[in-house]
Amino acid sequence: MERDSMSNRPLGILVVGAGAIADLHVAAVAADPRCVLAGFADVNADRARTAAHRNGGVFWTADLAEALARPDVDACIICTPNDTHEDLALRVAEAGKHLLLEKPLATTVEGADAIVEAFARRGLVLAVAHSHRFYDYGRTVHDEIASGAVGRPTLVRLALLGGWIWPDWRAWVIDPARSGGHALHNGVHLLDLVTWWIGSRPVSVYARGQRRTATELDVHDYLEMVVRYDDGAVAICEMSRAHRPTALAHRDVVVQGTGGLLTLAWDGEGALLWDEKGAHTLDPGVAYGFAAQLGAWLDAVTAGDAGTSVSGEEAAMAVALGVAAERSMALGVPVEVQ
Amino acid sequence: MRTLGVLLAGSAGVGHQDHQAEMYAPGFAAHPGFGIVGATEDGSGFDRADVDVVSVCVPFERRVEVVTAALRAGKHVLVDKPVALTSAECAEIAAVAAETGLVCLPAYHQRFHPAIRTAREAVAAGRVGLTWNVQADFLVAGGGPVWPYGELLNFAPYATDAVHAITGLPVTAVYALARPAEGPDDLVTLCLTHERGMTSTVVAGRTPPIAGVNGLSLHRYRVSGSHGTLLADATRPGVTVRGEKGTRTAWAGHGTVHRMLTELHAAVTDGRPAELGPTDALAALLLVEAARESIATGRVVRLGDDEQTKARVS
Repeated sequence: MERDSMSNRPLGILVVGAGAIADLHVAAVAADPRCVLAGFADVNADRARTAAHRNGGVFWTADLAEALARPDVDACIICTPNDTHEDLALRVAEAGKHLLLEKPLATTVEGADAIVEAFARRGLVLAVAHSHRFYDYGRTVHDEIASGAVGRPTLVRLALLGGWIWPDWRAWVIDPARSGGHALHNGVHLLDLVTWWIGSRPVSVYARGQRRTATELDVHDYLEMVVRYDDGAVAICEMSRAHRPTALAHRDVVVQGTGGLLTLAWDGEGALLWDEKGAHTLDPGVAYGFAAQLGAWLDAVTAGDAGTSVSGEEAAMAVALGVAAERSMALGVPVEVQ
Repeated sequence: MRTLGVLLAGSAGVGHQDHQAEMYAPGFAAHPGFGIVGATEDGSGFDRADVDVVSVCVPFERRVEVVTAALRAGKHVLVDKPVALTSAECAEIAAVAAETGLVCLPAYHQRFHPAIRTAREAVAAGRVGLTWNVQADFLVAGGGPVWPYGELLNFAPYATDAVHAITGLPVTAVYALARPAEGPDDLVTLCLTHERGMTSTVVAGRTPPIAGVNGLSLHRYRVSGSHGTLLADATRPGVTVRGEKGTRTAWAGHGTVHRMLTELHAAVTDGRPAELGPTDALAALLLVEAARESIATGRVVRLGDDEQTKARVS
């Protein structure tokens, strides 16, 4: 898309899927002068119309083909349920648009590979929203490891723990047929981040899941995923929407290397507030991470460079790890990574 | 407080260790409930009337012989950890201890750490509800390697014993990961399944030295339950002192060895079993052996499946 780098016109962004996470992407688009919001596409026309109305009356449609045919749409952000990613991403590639795709890239390894191949073949920029790479903590840990401050990582712990935030039984996120399971829905955040930090090849996953909020759940609201890497490093990833109290927001990072130890205290990022409801950490929120994520994608698009800070290949590896984790939980044994 | 006479037997341990000289002798000497009355290298003196307790740190090849001789002579025993190198040897000791009814306390002193005691009491009081997960880290920076025994045998049982002390839930299966233990960098990751479906992941071992850290760089337990979450950092309590020569922490409270000896004294003088006994040491060794099998095969190993294990545990 040489036109993008030659033209002064801001890049037109179509948001596909006007659910909750779309708001964070739209806020990032609004804050970056290199792009403008071109419109919304959502299979639910009411949702598309409402989102468009709330964002200055931009174009909206329930027909993705109509949106992709518009000349002011240069790129898309897809934030739809996980099981739709493969079909929608391939349609975006077919239409010749760049793509920022919500995680997971796909719910199957085959689907992930197909998407990566489709964008690579057309020289289009594909980025996947592994947003934790863009948060200050994620970059700090990565940069410290990359600088050699702790030597070669031998053990990494990453825990992101919270309580139930999902809606009721009708929510697609707790339907494994739609989300791929929790390891693919949220687990990929951690699996991608630790693999990026460690920088070597994952070889096996042993995952255990629990259903704490309700035994009738079809997904595991608590995940304990242990990844072994080809250099012997081990990563312990915990993802939880099962903890009590429900308001808990606990993050834990440990990196033990051949030359040192890095830790991030649970209250290491912000201030502490005690009020009538108890103690709370005041963290900086996620908006800045979404802005940085969008910025990195736009950098690649405007530079005409198909390589992004979260490449399709890396996102496909996160899918392979998530699939292995779900399989490990189903079988009760460690599973080799495809 | 009644003063119990202590006989120090041996000064061997895993690798370079001499816990008798470094931990137990100073611990007994400083404790008002004990008085050291003698020392022996060959296991003699068990018939002395002034000896109530024998502190055993003899080499592993003589552990069963010396511990059982002391018990049969009517003496209570503190045994350095690991109690033995194999679960079979430990089972022999456990059987004799049960037969004599005397106190035989394996020195897993970390479970007496105030942070772990507080966690244990909170869990037992229902403050987190029914426990369903524990995460534990036991990392020691620097010090001499205990190769060829390895930190799976040396350090990991401290942490798994503490998890057991906090939750009371025995281990039913283990998946273990370790890199070849040939130097000071020797970490093991234990993915444990416990009774009642509780899971835990325990990291233990020795890392390269860290400036300003003397011993444990990370020692903590996170307990998740049906109604709450508990973080116990066993590098606390402590004050932090920063000065020209660097940073150190200090705390005036008693250490874990002293607290363990208090339990030994209470068990002996009250005529009750100690809260920690040879069956706990046996459970720890069975777990070590299962973890070794898991590391060798890459598989999940269940405990208590085979008849031999059942016979040892019962």
